[in-house]
Amino acid sequence: MNIAQPKASGAVPNGDTLPSETFRCDLTSLVMYAGATWDFHRYHYDAAFVKTLDMPAPFVDGQMIGALLSSRLMRWGGPNAFVRKLGYRQRTTVYVDDSIVIAGKVTSRATENGRQIATLNLTVTKPDGTAVVRDGTATIDLGPA
Amino acid sequence: MTTRITEDLKAWIGREATYTAPEEFGRAPFRYFAMALHDDNPIYSDPEFAKKTVHDDVIAPPTFVCETNQIMNQPLDENGYIGHHWPLPMTSTRFIRGGNDYEMLQPVRASDRVTVVWKIKDIYERTTRKLGTLIFVVSEARCTNQRGELLAINRETNIYSP
Repeated sequence: MNIAQPKASGAVPNGDTLPSETFRCDLTSLVMYAGATWDFHRYHYDAAFVKTLDMPAPFVDGQMIGALLSSRLMRWGGPNAFVRKLGYRQRTTVYVDDSIVIAGKVTSRATENGRQIATLNLTVTKPDGTAVVRDGTATIDLGPA
Repeated sequence: MTTRITEDLKAWIGREATYTAPEEFGRAPFRYFAMALHDDNPIYSDPEFAKKTVHDDVIAPPTFVCETNQIMNQPLDENGYIGHHWPLPMTSTRFIRGGNDYEMLQPVRASDRVTVVWKIKDIYERTTRKLGTLIFVVSEARCTNQRGELLAINRETNIYSP
C-alpha cells in the first residue's frame, strides 16, 4: 500500500502561494498521528469514550494541524527548506472525518545572513467555510541565497 | 466578578518539569511521523537524497520534537495518556487547545537525545458571556539535545472551561 503521494509535485517551487490542499482527517490518519506521537489518549479514537464527555466524535490533536502546516511548507520550500517559526490560534475543534483545507500566501521575502527567508500567512478551513486557523504565520528558510 | 484564579493556582506560574529521553530518536520515527501526514518528502527518510541538500542527512519533520510524549517514558494513565500535564489545583480539568507558537532553532537529527523543560509562563482568566470565566494556561517547552544545543521552543495555550 502506498498512502503517501506527493500532491504538490507539479507546483512551481517557492511560488507565491502554498498550494491549497484538502486533508481528510479520517480515523486512520488520527490513529497514525497518535501512534507517531505516542499519544494514546482515547480522545483521538474512542467514539464511546468521547460521547461521555459530551463531544460528538474523536477529535484531531491541535498539534497535528501544526504538523500538517509544517509538512506542506517543507514540501513547498524544496529540499533545502527548514521551517523556523510557525504560529496559529485554533478557533474550532476538528473531528474525525472532517476535511480541512490548508492554504497559504507569501507575505514577504528577504535575504538574511546569506539565506533566503520567506514569511507566509496560513489558513485552515473546513469545506463549509468554518475557520479552524484564520491567522497562522510561518517563517521558512529556503536555503542559501 | 469572582475570580477562578486562587493563590494556590497562581503559585504554579514559573514551575518547571524536566524530562530526558531514554534514548536517541533514530530515523524510523521521522518516517512514521511524515507518513501519518501523508507526506513522502525524502528529506525525512532518504539519506542519499538528504546528502545533496544543505541538511546533509535526514532531519525530523519540523514540529516532531515538540510532540514530547516520546521523550517522557511515563506509564499510561486511565485514558491512555502518557504525556506531560500540570496537576493544577482547579475544579475543572477540561480544556481545549488555544494554539501553538513553534520556533525551530536547528533541525533535529536521528542521533539527538532530547531533554525537554516544560515551564508555566502565565495563568490568566477572561470572562465570556457564552462560556463563563475561562482560565488560560500558557506553557513553554524548550527542547535541547545531549550537547545542550537548543533545538526548538513550543509555546502553547490551553483554555480551561468552568
